[in-house]
Amino acid sequence: MPYRRSQGKYFVSFLVGIFMLSLVLMTVNARYDKVNLFFESMVVWFFSPVQSFFTTATDSITDVFDHYFFLVRTSSENGRLLNELDRLSKKNNELLERNKFLERSANLTEFIDEDERPFVVAKVIGYGATQWSKVIFINRGTDDNVEKNLSVVTDAGVVGHVIHASLKSSKVLLITDSRSAVDSLFQETRKSGITVGTGDDICEMKFVPISAKVSVGDNVVSSGLGGVFPKGLMVGTVVGVVKQDHELFQNIRVATSVDLSNVEEVIVLLSKQEGG
Amino acid sequence: MNYLALIIALVFLFSIQTTFLRIVFPGNVVPDLILIVAVYSGIHLKKNRGVWLAALVGFLQDCLSGALLGVNFLSKGLVGLFFCSIKDKIIVQGILPIGFFIFVASVVDGMIYFMSMVSLLGGQVKVDFLFSSIILFGVCNAVIAPSLFYMFDKVRQWLHSKFPTQLLKSI
Repeated sequence: MPYRRSQGKYFVSFLVGIFMLSLVLMTVNARYDKVNLFFESMVVWFFSPVQSFFTTATDSITDVFDHYFFLVRTSSENGRLLNELDRLSKKNNELLERNKFLERSANLTEFIDEDERPFVVAKVIGYGATQWSKVIFINRGTDDNVEKNLSVVTDAGVVGHVIHASLKSSKVLLITDSRSAVDSLFQETRKSGITVGTGDDICEMKFVPISAKVSVGDNVVSSGLGGVFPKGLMVGTVVGVVKQDHELFQNIRVATSVDLSNVEEVIVLLSKQEGG
Repeated sequence: MNYLALIIALVFLFSIQTTFLRIVFPGNVVPDLILIVAVYSGIHLKKNRGVWLAALVGFLQDCLSGALLGVNFLSKGLVGLFFCSIKDKIIVQGILPIGFFIFVASVVDGMIYFMSMVSLLGGQVKVDFLFSSIILFGVCNAVIAPSLFYMFDKVRQWLHSKFPTQLLKSI
């Protein structure tokens, strides 16, 4: 009986200890949201070389299988063509955006924002340690002027934004994470909404009025509001629209323009003053 | 030596979790090796060491994911504590018992994550997506857990045979 009582006491004290410590961690995290926490940076810093090593090793093995054993030349060719297609899509998107911009501001000729923003190219070295949060790790950190809340993109469009930067690596929250939100608008109609992650591969566009004309295939771009993503970046394409009469907003599903399950390199858009 | 072995094992596991597993499981369901470690340590480590180890790996997982710090610490710590407190009353050997307990632990882990997400971070999660993903997550973990338990057992046996005096005292 005394043994059982002491076991019960242990259990209760551990239970209280775990709850208290987790509460402290959550509070610290919430309280110091704007700065990098030391121990988090230390863990990320410690693991980043190992992640780089594992990613390189895995890539090498995957590369051998993809490019040698299975499809000796076709895969490489296909990859090159897909890259070319991405590049041309981006160019096309840029031209469409520029065209729209010029149409809207024909009489404001004295100012056109060229947005010559500095950037760094980063390699994806790992993914989040749990499937619930959609996070990737990149091999650029504060040493390369990467900091919290910078936007991360590829040729195809928006990937996410930096949520933690340590010396040599950073953590990027993908736009598919359910905490992510990108202020967006439809490329054609210029109706605005907010693209939010769902935790799944598909995002949702919220707060689009029921009267707005939206159809499958419409492109969604970032609006530039919110301070994280520059205007005109491709976010995704509408893949589903549901309108219900009794609701104020439409239920719109958006497929991301970037294949987030297979990102290898990304571009981090630095803040203008840091890039010189 | 035992701590060194533990550190190497953890680095290896976290590296596999954050790199290799995403390539092997490219979809939305990825097994959680850390959860399996938490359950294993709760059941197999002596005294209350399993709770500490489970909470530690939960904390490391917090740092290496986008979750709010403390969420995985809480879920893994609770899982470790639960299994540590009932380890004398249950037998977790064989494919079905291991699979069952890992499934239960996965459901608890997923629920804690989503509850913290919705309540503390204001994230929006659809109920059907939540339940389908948690069940798939549990099944995925339950399927691979027996082989991992077997592997951990073999590693422990090997370490015991190589370093009997140091390890037998502590683990």
